Amino acid sequence: MNLVVNGDAETGPGGTDAPVTAVTGWRVAQGAPALVAYTFGGGYPGTGDPGPDRRGSRFFSGGTSPRTALVQDIALPASGATGHAAIDAGRVRYAVEAWLGGYAAQEDGARLSVEFRDGKGTPVALSVLGPVTSGERGGRTGLVKRTAGALVPPGARTARLLLVLTRTGGGTSNDGYADGISLTLTGGSK
Amino acid sequence: MTLDRRTLLKAAGAAGALNTVWPLSAGLSPAQAREAAEALGADYDPAPFTLGVASGDPQPGSVVLWTRLAPEPLAAEQRLPEVVAVAWVVAEDQALSRVVARGSAPASATLGHSVHVPVQGLAAGRTYWYAFSALGKTSRVGRTRTAPSGTVSRVRFAAANCQAFHDGYYAAHRGIAREDVDFVVHLGDYIYEHGPVGGDHVRDHEGPAVLTLADYRRRHALYKGDASLREAHAAHPWFLTWDDHEVANDYSGTGGGAPFLQRRAAAYQAWYENMPHRDGGESALPDPVLHRTRRWGNLLELTVLDLRSYRSAQNLADGTILGAEQKGWLKGTIDRAPDSWHVWANSIMLSQLRGRPGGSYMFTDQWDGFLAERKEILGHVHSSGLEDLVVVTGDWHSAFVDDLRVDFDDTSSPLVGTEFTAHSVTSGGYAADWNTANGPLMGRGNPHLKYFEGNRYGYDVYELTPERFTTRMRVIADRRDPLSPVTTLTSFHVDRGRTGSYEDPATKGSPAQWRRD
Repeated sequence: MNLVVNGDAETGPGGTDAPVTAVTGWRVAQGAPALVAYTFGGGYPGTGDPGPDRRGSRFFSGGTSPRTALVQDIALPASGATGHAAIDAGRVRYAVEAWLGGYAAQEDGARLSVEFRDGKGTPVALSVLGPVTSGERGGRTGLVKRTAGALVPPGARTARLLLVLTRTGGGTSNDGYADGISLTLTGGSK
Repeated sequence: MTLDRRTLLKAAGAAGALNTVWPLSAGLSPAQAREAAEALGADYDPAPFTLGVASGDPQPGSVVLWTRLAPEPLAAEQRLPEVVAVAWVVAEDQALSRVVARGSAPASATLGHSVHVPVQGLAAGRTYWYAFSALGKTSRVGRTRTAPSGTVSRVRFAAANCQAFHDGYYAAHRGIAREDVDFVVHLGDYIYEHGPVGGDHVRDHEGPAVLTLADYRRRHALYKGDASLREAHAAHPWFLTWDDHEVANDYSGTGGGAPFLQRRAAAYQAWYENMPHRDGGESALPDPVLHRTRRWGNLLELTVLDLRSYRSAQNLADGTILGAEQKGWLKGTIDRAPDSWHVWANSIMLSQLRGRPGGSYMFTDQWDGFLAERKEILGHVHSSGLEDLVVVTGDWHSAFVDDLRVDFDDTSSPLVGTEFTAHSVTSGGYAADWNTANGPLMGRGNPHLKYFEGNRYGYDVYELTPERFTTRMRVIADRRDPLSPVTTLTSFHVDRGRTGSYEDPATKGSPAQWRRD
């Protein structure tokens, strides 16, 4: 089960390149993102550009701020095969996935990180995806998949997602793009 | 493959340059690279605690304990389980018999098998000892100290900066380890990011410029291969900020596109993994939050600044070295300041520095490249009535004493504090003849500059009482000698309730390349 709320940018206000002040499931820590429709045009990623196969209707972009940051705190499940007891027994793994991209040969970018914390808020694990460079996109507008995973450290109780969209150089549009953000846990034998 | 120090040094000597045997990583396994590094002067604690132990961010009742498991310190990936349980213990005595706290923390491969333990529930203002154990081994014993609360009659701390590995051994850190101080502040340039420098150096970097997380981890491990640095970490709790070389020369945290931001994230993560830094709260890795205020009873409010993460480009009319959020926070800190000494840990020079009378600024990577913001901050210090401000600074590889004015070009402008820029631990300064020629030029070009000395290396020790702030410039005799003795070059004082510094008459005859008076 994907623990991320609105990791696909499908929920809440948006649909154009106009920045929004609130995003369902996320805290806007800096700047203001736009949740752009794949059908919006204007040079933004479209339905035929590289991106998630099941991409829904919208993706995150950085809006018009040089740096836009979204934060989401996730409480890890208390019980079950991936609950606290299983985590503390070292039997739970995580997988984080995101589609990250940008515009043509520009180096605007998107980075997603997940930081696991113990019950007192101390970082105990970290995975960082991106930012994806224009070279990694082949100089093409679009999004590419990035993944990481590891063992959830015993004692972990929360996960903090940080999505950072950055603009470089001049212009107003922050063309860091993200979509398809997921965090999943799997339980198993140690 | 066995490498011995004699063979390596002989090879280097025959070629006339140390860099003929570097980079160590070329064709060597991590174990061989470590062996070679040790043959050339690096050493490490016994595995898996090769990088030593440290503590940081002391508060009343709390301090962060740090270690990192690295059985092969120069390896990109450690041959360890994905997560290792690391037990820790805190005691009232060095033998660790009177235990007051203990626990276990997970060391994850995703964080370089580092652990950061924010120990709570300790008594304020007292010394503790601590150690870690994992994989059947126990670390060295570290010593730390919590911040006091209430009335405090004295605080002493040391400040270190700029410790280029290739420029010398860390005799300065050996001195810091032996100082009777409450804590240490590191002002940045803890590592340098570039490749080997070659030439006539006592040692060198292990490989080319660092770019990836694996690279930065290896570079931090190389630097911790100096026993004196590990000793200083184990002896005192540290507060930390950074300058540019933890990432790249003269970088702006908000500049650059995706390729640079990949590099920056790697550098920031590796820095966190290797430092006794307290993170969490509203921040999120890989972007640790460094700026903070801490109090040492009623005597000192320490403000740690981050002058890299949020800065704009230099020389812009609306440029910022602090970033909007940190600037607002700093001004609020000034507004709410208690009646105490106020010390800012400031990585890079705040005072104006012209190269000669009427000349241009020497470096606009420092606050001279952010004029409007400097005037705004120092003006706010003045308008808010903040008194007893001392700024401690690194970066310059030379010692300066400046009195701070709201407008440095107007000698009738209000004085608001004093800045002490400390000698570097090892990083090379200008040549002696440059210092001789330019010290007086800088002195005459900057009416607020009271002192300049650029021929020595070391650190500062500060002593604060309710009546007086004293800076003692500790210098080493020779960077090429890891056991080089430490002496006090000179001392400066600032009296409580009075702006402006003055040199101690007893050391006023010491060598310097500029001295007002």
